[in-house]
Amino acid sequence: MEIVWTLLYMLVFPGFLFLTTYGMICEWVDRKLYARFQSRLGPPWFQPEADFIKLLSKEEIIPEAANPVMFRLLPLFALASVLTAFLYLPIWNTAAIYSFSGDLIVVFYLLTIPTLTFFLAGWHSTSLFATLGSVRNVTQLFAYEVPLLISLLGPALLSGSWSLSEMNQFFVERPILLLVNIIGFFVALIAVQGKLERVPFDIPEAETEIVAGSFTEFSGKLLGIFRLAIDLELVVAATLISVVFLGGSFGLHPVLGFILFIVKTLLIVAILALFRTVMARIRIEQMMKFCWRYLAPISLFQLLINILVKAWFL
Amino acid sequence: MLEKVVKWARVKSPWVLHFNTGACNACDIEILAALAPRFDLERFGVQLKGTPRHADVILCSGPVTRQIKDRLVRIYEQMPEPKFIVAVGTCACSGGVFDGCYNVEGGIDSTIPVAAYIPGCPARPEAIIDGVVKLLEKIDQPEKFQEPEQPVMIGGANLDGQ
Repeated sequence: MEIVWTLLYMLVFPGFLFLTTYGMICEWVDRKLYARFQSRLGPPWFQPEADFIKLLSKEEIIPEAANPVMFRLLPLFALASVLTAFLYLPIWNTAAIYSFSGDLIVVFYLLTIPTLTFFLAGWHSTSLFATLGSVRNVTQLFAYEVPLLISLLGPALLSGSWSLSEMNQFFVERPILLLVNIIGFFVALIAVQGKLERVPFDIPEAETEIVAGSFTEFSGKLLGIFRLAIDLELVVAATLISVVFLGGSFGLHPVLGFILFIVKTLLIVAILALFRTVMARIRIEQMMKFCWRYLAPISLFQLLINILVKAWFL
Repeated sequence: MLEKVVKWARVKSPWVLHFNTGACNACDIEILAALAPRFDLERFGVQLKGTPRHADVILCSGPVTRQIKDRLVRIYEQMPEPKFIVAVGTCACSGGVFDGCYNVEGGIDSTIPVAAYIPGCPARPEAIIDGVVKLLEKIDQPEKFQEPEQPVMIGGANLDGQ
């Protein structure tokens, strides 16, 4: 019986089936909002599904110089790591399906694996543009990873736990403390934009400079799975921020909690779409400078505030 | 059933690659205008892609020059099947005023098979959208056209099925 439930969790809800559907809805919301902000009509609601099915049905070309095994495996690795990360996030109540002390770090590193697969994908396709894009991928990783982790550590420090479920429970009991983390919330939103490789941090995929970055040589199914993994990464990142900084489901009735989860993730997607609309792409060294000179110190400042709050009030 | 779904997806999500085969830039600017917010091709699912590996449709503008011929064939062969070529502008359709020039091969169809011809000097964004939509219609319902094997032509005397 245990196995049936585990499979149900992994494949149907909140695993593969739910997450792919919701990921595509989020992609559509993102693209539609982006279009509306530019006073365009935007794509119809089935656009991500149509793109995905079309990519699955297309011919799949693997360059002669590329490593065919890595080429086929890497998209699956990206997808699997994001799907695994989602199982550790609380969705409809404060307890995640699987949780242990320290799952914050596990989720964080599972979210890093897609970036590494993008790097390897670009590297193994041996094309000039793909190699350049993958080098930028990794360079960018060093810029946003530190501020993001530090800003996630703030709430963890305040609640005295590294487990997402326990952190969520702590903030549900003391919702006023969520206001303390407001700086960290914005730092995380900006850093997550870098993790998802969206404007203004879409430097690895800069289509005006290096064609399509790491994915230049990818076509058909493989590209489709990579795109799906990016969609899911958007959902997982939005859920992570909603759980850590916005109190997740607030411990309400599961149905209400689930509605709250949808509202909060869509709100975060909307904020990310707004960022994408109002900003232009910056150069890689500008990003390094921005992340290390401003974002990292601000997140450290947030950590300091949390230490003081914990020392005086808790 | 599966075939129907695949066909539906193919018609709803044509990703285009823009390739200048030797145009004077007028058609290119009209293509970009068609992709920009005012005409908003994304409502038909059209997205501009940078690499032939991701694209389904190439929008070719200009006559094929001797210099670009090898590159055009290479780009064409880099695209995954199924692929469609759209000739945008009079020069791309037939070579235009450059036909017979010492450095020009002729229209796009002198080098690779073309699925739709959109004449105009330059072709207006409305004409480009019309051509792409007609091409998609033809992929979707070939039985509605009198000569389904023939390429789509916009505004020509031998416009079929309309």
